[in-house]
Amino acid sequence: MEERQLIEKAQAGDKKALNELVKKYEQTIYNFAFKICRDKNFAEQIMQETFYSMIKSLHQFDHNSKLSTWLYRIVSNHCIMLARKLKSRSFVSIDDDENLFEEKYTADWNSIPYKDAENEELKTILDNAIQKLSPEYRIVFLLRDVEGLSTEETSQITELSIPAVKSRLHRARAYLRKEINEAFIR
Amino acid sequence: MKKKKVSCKNVMKHICESLCEDLNDERCVEIKNHLESCANCKQYFRSVEITIDCYRKYNVQMPGEVHGRLMKILGLD
Repeated sequence: MEERQLIEKAQAGDKKALNELVKKYEQTIYNFAFKICRDKNFAEQIMQETFYSMIKSLHQFDHNSKLSTWLYRIVSNHCIMLARKLKSRSFVSIDDDENLFEEKYTADWNSIPYKDAENEELKTILDNAIQKLSPEYRIVFLLRDVEGLSTEETSQITELSIPAVKSRLHRARAYLRKEINEAFIR
Repeated sequence: MKKKKVSCKNVMKHICESLCEDLNDERCVEIKNHLESCANCKQYFRSVEITIDCYRKYNVQMPGEVHGRLMKILGLD
């Protein structure tokens, strides 16, 4: 069944269609929530809240965007709300990008085990680096570079202007690259 | 008038902005030319690509019991 038909059935109260929609997107939403908060329990909680919100407002979905784009917006909002609620972590400020492009740091990137997705040392470095960024920067980086959405879609989801998306993206990329670089300087 | 040579720092900034994806952009072409002759910037470009690639490959599989709890909470079990 086409997704549009599935959504229309779910909007009309068809539980089976709703079930199908949840199943179709649960892995994507769980993974995305994990990538933002880097914690499996929080990822589960955010995923539950995202689908709860989806069911509650599905009748308002007007097919003007893709359902996935709509869901990314909901999950992003829940991630930001959770981060504000926790407030326990402080994030680096990268509003000024002057220090992001230090030419003196040069690790040997050939020694970085980037081809091995299961390398625990690398995973820890990636977790530590991204957790220093505020969720607002993380979301832009993950939507654009990791999930592969366009700048326009990212702007729609985050309700940021296109220049603001571009600016956050380039700072996030530079910051994460700098953190990994420093972690691998022996 | 002679064109001002692009600096490595500006190249790095530009790499992070666009990854030189827009081949119609004059600046991207200029940066690509710079990369051909600057090993340091070339390495920087590669390192940004690797950074993105690392985060793309780092995924988590949702455990089966998480699916079960979700369906129960939503009343779809």
